[in-house]
Amino acid sequence: MKLRSKLDAPVHKNLIYILPGLILYAAFVFGPIVSAVGISLTDWNGLGLPTWVGLQNYAGLFSDERFYLSLKNNAELMVFYCVLPLGLGIGLAAILWNMKPREQLMLRTMLFLPYIMPTAVLGIIWAWLYNPAFGPINQGLRLLGLGSLALPWLGDFTFVLPAVGLVATWYFFGFCMVIFMSGMQRLDPNLFDAARVDGATGLQTFRTVTLPLLLPEIRVVLLLTVIASIKSFDLIFTMTRGGPANATLVPNIYMYQLGFQLNRFGYAAAVAIIGAILIFTVNYAIHRLVRPADEGAN
Amino acid sequence: MRNIGKKSLGLTALKATGSAIAACVFGLAVVQSAQADGLNVWDDYTFEGQSATIEQLNKAFEAAHPGVTINRTARTFDDMKLTLKLAVSAGDGPMVTKVNQGAGDMGTMVKEGLLQPVDAYITKFGWDKLQSDSLIARDRWSDKGQFGEGPTYGISGLGEMVGLFYNKKVLEDAGLPVPTNFDEFTADLDKLKEKGIAPFMIGTSKQHMALHMIATVSQAHVDAAKRSTLDDLIYGRGGSWKTEGNVTAASLIQKWATGGYFYPGFQGISGDDAVQLFVAGQGAFLISGTWYFGDMQNNPDIHFMPFPAPHGVEKPLTVGGVDLAWSITSLAKDKATQDLAGEYINYMVSPEAALTWAKAGYLPSTILPDNADFQASTLLKEGIAMWKQVNANNALGHYPDWSAPTLLKTIDDATPHLLAGDMKPEDFVGAIDADYQAYLASKK
Repeated sequence: MKLRSKLDAPVHKNLIYILPGLILYAAFVFGPIVSAVGISLTDWNGLGLPTWVGLQNYAGLFSDERFYLSLKNNAELMVFYCVLPLGLGIGLAAILWNMKPREQLMLRTMLFLPYIMPTAVLGIIWAWLYNPAFGPINQGLRLLGLGSLALPWLGDFTFVLPAVGLVATWYFFGFCMVIFMSGMQRLDPNLFDAARVDGATGLQTFRTVTLPLLLPEIRVVLLLTVIASIKSFDLIFTMTRGGPANATLVPNIYMYQLGFQLNRFGYAAAVAIIGAILIFTVNYAIHRLVRPADEGAN
Repeated sequence: MRNIGKKSLGLTALKATGSAIAACVFGLAVVQSAQADGLNVWDDYTFEGQSATIEQLNKAFEAAHPGVTINRTARTFDDMKLTLKLAVSAGDGPMVTKVNQGAGDMGTMVKEGLLQPVDAYITKFGWDKLQSDSLIARDRWSDKGQFGEGPTYGISGLGEMVGLFYNKKVLEDAGLPVPTNFDEFTADLDKLKEKGIAPFMIGTSKQHMALHMIATVSQAHVDAAKRSTLDDLIYGRGGSWKTEGNVTAASLIQKWATGGYFYPGFQGISGDDAVQLFVAGQGAFLISGTWYFGDMQNNPDIHFMPFPAPHGVEKPLTVGGVDLAWSITSLAKDKATQDLAGEYINYMVSPEAALTWAKAGYLPSTILPDNADFQASTLLKEGIAMWKQVNANNALGHYPDWSAPTLLKTIDDATPHLLAGDMKPEDFVGAIDADYQAYLASKK
């Protein structure tokens, strides 16, 4: 067979072309992952020589109450990172879909805006908004005569997690909405006409036609938001640093504290590896479970 | 279209990769070269007034040492704790740096050979004539990891005391006297609360104001004559944190926190924000340290005094000591750099630098010259008088977190529960002691 291009040569001959990218990938992604696995098998304070401890760090994690607490907090945060943005996004997309193009464009742009900001900046801004002394949220509540509701949001054991989580919801819902709207564009309008002819109400059409056809977008949104929730760090770090008393501790904050505050880099690496495994497992489950009925296994 | 051969393409790709690597190596070489031209210094003077003062001192040092450039990096206390050890061990950190004393920072760095002893410079420049031995002892670490003994690894430029800031106008408006003893103090608190004025301004969401408050109340229960128990704890010689004074202090603070004596919403306010609110006239009392003098002097009604001691304690300990120590790191490799670093530190603890700090409103650890010509703020005069008295009484206490590497985190984790009332004072003290005993056991 005649080669159409030099680039159709066997893989081993073309390997040279991807070498620069491969070197960068090895240096900044693959290398650190392998290093982290290696470090997780040692006791290392980050300064001296590491001591080999085998799987001791992983064994320690199974009896570590703080690690379980961080997983529990992370699970609760998933409601705010994944479920609420997904629900809000799909609902708003359905509402905006029926609007005139100009109104739709304006609202879509406005609702998407939070997503263009860095989450660390959002964390600092929202920490100020939540400030009990001079933050506008509590000032507003007092102005409305609801002073008893003016709580120290980021210092309250009960409300701190929802307070941080709602910022994540605010950040992600516009993004989810845009994904769903782009999904709606590819749906065949004849399906909606057929539903209308059959006498289906708007809600019935949404439930039985729109929602099942949007499963590929739902899967994408779930994958991305679940990854974001498990690797959440900057928002929580800038707002609470995991406090008060670990009430917003998540695995990544715990990893940071173990490594950089307590000099337990081996144990911190074990937390990181478990976090990565968690991301792969949950995402694999989503990939397998959330898909249209007619989509074959792949 | 020009047909590029396989060999040629491969060569191009190799050249591109080679160029990229060469550029990285060259870039690194330039950075290394730039570092060699000056003295890399890290400090923790991030507050506006502090930063201006250290910049002024650096310029004066450069003027006195032609050809020397100070490459300054300023880090907050927390950022310094996080990054310093790693930066020095990685080889791209400072040659001279501020280091937090105690097991978690200076102790760890000494153990790993990241700091160099400064005893030769103490002798050469006579630093022991400028500061008392009890201050310099806080920078000693033995080869066996014993705190307070062995070679000296630094010296500080500023003194630190945690005391009671009070707003005289708020007290006067409430018709209350400035308290002179513990009973008057608690009576003032009750009356302020009755009048709807927050007795204490405090913020616990960031920084360590609650820790300083607990330590202050606790160490006010210790008479200087009986300080050896606390010294033994801090210097890792043993003992227990489970003392009656510590439990009493924790109980008292829990009562204040749950009983409405703290500024509303304190759990969601940072320590720095609490200071700004206090300067703005909110709250009657605030327990914190002399490092806030620069901010506090913006309100002339704010004064500073020792925390009133309970009945029967003649010379109560005052939490404090010195600010982070100036140290020479292992990155000052040759004798010339080490000597330059020594000269820099000598200037930073000199009477001249002390005067500059005092003029900016901060409390120097070095004794000021008798003929010093400057107009001290009222706050600073009170601080200097208190510093002299506390040192004369040998009553300078300690920061509890110096005693074990993980104690700061343990206290930070337990304090919100104590303040919320869902942790018994005995359990709070027990958590601190458990951490400390685990550290002692790990040293054996």
